[in-house]
Amino acid sequence: MRMLAIELQKEKRTGVTGVLLAVGVLGAAYAFINFFVRRETLLALPLAPMDVLLTQLYGMIMVLNMFGIVVAACMIYEMEFKGNAIKRIHMLPVSVAGMYLCKFLILTMLFLLVVSFQNLALMRIGMNDLPKGSFEMKTLIIFAGYSFLTSMPVLSFMLLVSSRFENMWIPLGIGVSGFLSGMALATSDAELLLIHPFIIMLKPAVAMSAQPDYMILIVSLIETVIFLEIGLWMAEKLRYE
Amino acid sequence: MKYIITTEQLTKKYKNFTAVNGVSLHIRQGSIYGFLGPNGAGKSTTMKMLLGLTTLTEGSFAIDGKHFPADRLTILKEIGSFIESPSFYANLTGRENLDIIRQILELPKSSVDDALELVGLEEFGNRLAKKYSLGMKQRLGLAGALLGRPPILILDEPTNGLDPTGIHEIRSLVKSLPTLYNCTILISSHMLSEIELIADDIGILNHGRLLFEGRMEDLRRDASQESFAADNLENMFLSIIEKDNLARKKEAKL
Repeated sequence: MRMLAIELQKEKRTGVTGVLLAVGVLGAAYAFINFFVRRETLLALPLAPMDVLLTQLYGMIMVLNMFGIVVAACMIYEMEFKGNAIKRIHMLPVSVAGMYLCKFLILTMLFLLVVSFQNLALMRIGMNDLPKGSFEMKTLIIFAGYSFLTSMPVLSFMLLVSSRFENMWIPLGIGVSGFLSGMALATSDAELLLIHPFIIMLKPAVAMSAQPDYMILIVSLIETVIFLEIGLWMAEKLRYE
Repeated sequence: MKYIITTEQLTKKYKNFTAVNGVSLHIRQGSIYGFLGPNGAGKSTTMKMLLGLTTLTEGSFAIDGKHFPADRLTILKEIGSFIESPSFYANLTGRENLDIIRQILELPKSSVDDALELVGLEEFGNRLAKKYSLGMKQRLGLAGALLGRPPILILDEPTNGLDPTGIHEIRSLVKSLPTLYNCTILISSHMLSEIELIADDIGILNHGRLLFEGRMEDLRRDASQESFAADNLENMFLSIIEKDNLARKKEAKL
């Protein structure tokens, strides 16, 4: 807990919280505006109203979330490298792996807030604008959890990458490449491609149903844990040279 | 006589380059140990190894009887350090930077003001560290090392970037510390006149090898015996380094 409190103090003026909260607000605003403008067109699609609400708006929200995660993960380590503060941390009686875990938890908690905020907007739209009786709270909560968990591999991967490069442009470039290659391959059915964390995150956005794909969910959890473990191992074992 | 830091054949190799070559140091408790050498001699690498920033290739060391990596946290609790250049969070003020270290070291809040005052930075404590001048950053780095008055200080070029007044202040501060709270200081500097004024013991490193270790008077005696100029540390240092470089050149020709 002490380590987490210290880590939160270090985030001051970095913009990490600001970026992710802005993503939450923008995602929610996009959902409202899009549904307000395209309501009739969207509801005319040959899909169940809940599928329309959750899958047709999620594409843009997911892109915002993805860029929010990439930028926030880069920023959360940029502050360690900027004034060479990471060197000081290595010289202090503190676990560097513990610091890494705290950064992971902070990003996860902030991202959970972002997803909650966006889904509150979807809930409001669902209650007010979907045909009477078609809104299902349970489906919304399940999809919110599904979209959160399928985003975690990208978060875990980006934190790992940004912790290894002093120059922020490198992880940022990797993030953008991940997004572009993910976009190009997201519609493929090849299961091997699921090792690509950005494709996992894109999967709920290209699906036509709001029902979670358990295969994708399991792979998400495995990738999140693997990237986190690699990051913790590197933080613990690799010295500051 | 108790040695608080001892190293045994400390060696660091980077592929084909040996940065530190079998260095055995003996640093007495409560002393100021001046660690000298030209650029690239291996001073910073040795200090980094003592702090666990760099892994050793060969050899071992003990700090207050403890060993890396098993006792890493206990060792680092006892050491205040400043290596090569100041390390700080650019997004935080000087005071906030020190407060982060204070919380990690579990020290009382008053220790931040104490450290700021020791390095003469008390009136700039609330300024963002990224807006500090080079000298102020240097002082902030030193304040971080002095926080909580640790029993061992490892200082690598602590007066870099300071103006003459700053150098004088830091020199006086470093010199006063062992008397003030019985700490041991391992300090490296290119300012040989500074080291001459404050150090009890001297270690001279060249191309990764320790050429001399001992008290200042031993160095003078050795220099006289070798017919080197022994009037000041700078001349003795230059003569020793020159002699070693010549010997290395001869060796290379053979």
